[in-house]
Amino acid sequence: MKIKCNNNIRKLRFFHSEMTQLELAERTGVSRQTINAIEAGKYLPSLELAFCLAEVFQVSLSEVFTYEVIEK
Amino acid sequence: MSYQEKRTLTSVVCGVLSLVAYCLYVLPRFGLGREATTDLKALALTMLVFIGIGIVAVIIIQILFHIFFSVGVAISESVSGAISNRTTDDKTIDRRIKAEMKEDERDKIFELKSSRIGSVFVGAGFIVSLLLLANGYPPAVMLHLLFLSFCLSSLFEGFYQLYLYKTTS
Repeated sequence: MKIKCNNNIRKLRFFHSEMTQLELAERTGVSRQTINAIEAGKYLPSLELAFCLAEVFQVSLSEVFTYEVIEK
Repeated sequence: MSYQEKRTLTSVVCGVLSLVAYCLYVLPRFGLGREATTDLKALALTMLVFIGIGIVAVIIIQILFHIFFSVGVAISESVSGAISNRTTDDKTIDRRIKAEMKEDERDKIFELKSSRIGSVFVGAGFIVSLLLLANGYPPAVMLHLLFLSFCLSSLFEGFYQLYLYKTTS
């Protein structure tokens, strides 16, 4: 099975008073480049970092990351 | 280009310099083919001195890079602050430098992935040197090959790390 992961980080940042990537990076303890890579879908974070992101936005993990099955 | 990318690039440049220096100084002096030196003590001492100088050079270059990078970030922060009419204090600059130099899980994953490539080179170098030894080449050739494979492995590690950073940013 193949799945494609998507994320709503850009949208969530926007709804959290246009939080900058740097601010989100500082709050999750990673670099701004990592946040940028995750947002662009070029890097999949660890489960720990994914939960950190959800915690910062005060939402569930499924609201930050979604997936679609592309091949069964 | 991020701090980690620039740091990797600096390491690659150091690796290239030490490889070139080794090829220019040690190889012609001790020979590489069947006519290579049998004075292993002198070769070992030269290699040890070379490794020592290399380590010191890398440390000095990394320190200089760290200083220049911090100064660069401080200047760019001050300039952007002046352009957008906001006050830029030491705290803001310090915060920006810390954020730029942050090492996280992504950097560690890239480091692990590239070290796997590096260990392949070291392993291959060891096998080739053993084959040459089995074919009657002097032990000095084995030492040269081991040294060169370590150098090449660190270079390819750096290149692969740069490639990973480029493809995920």
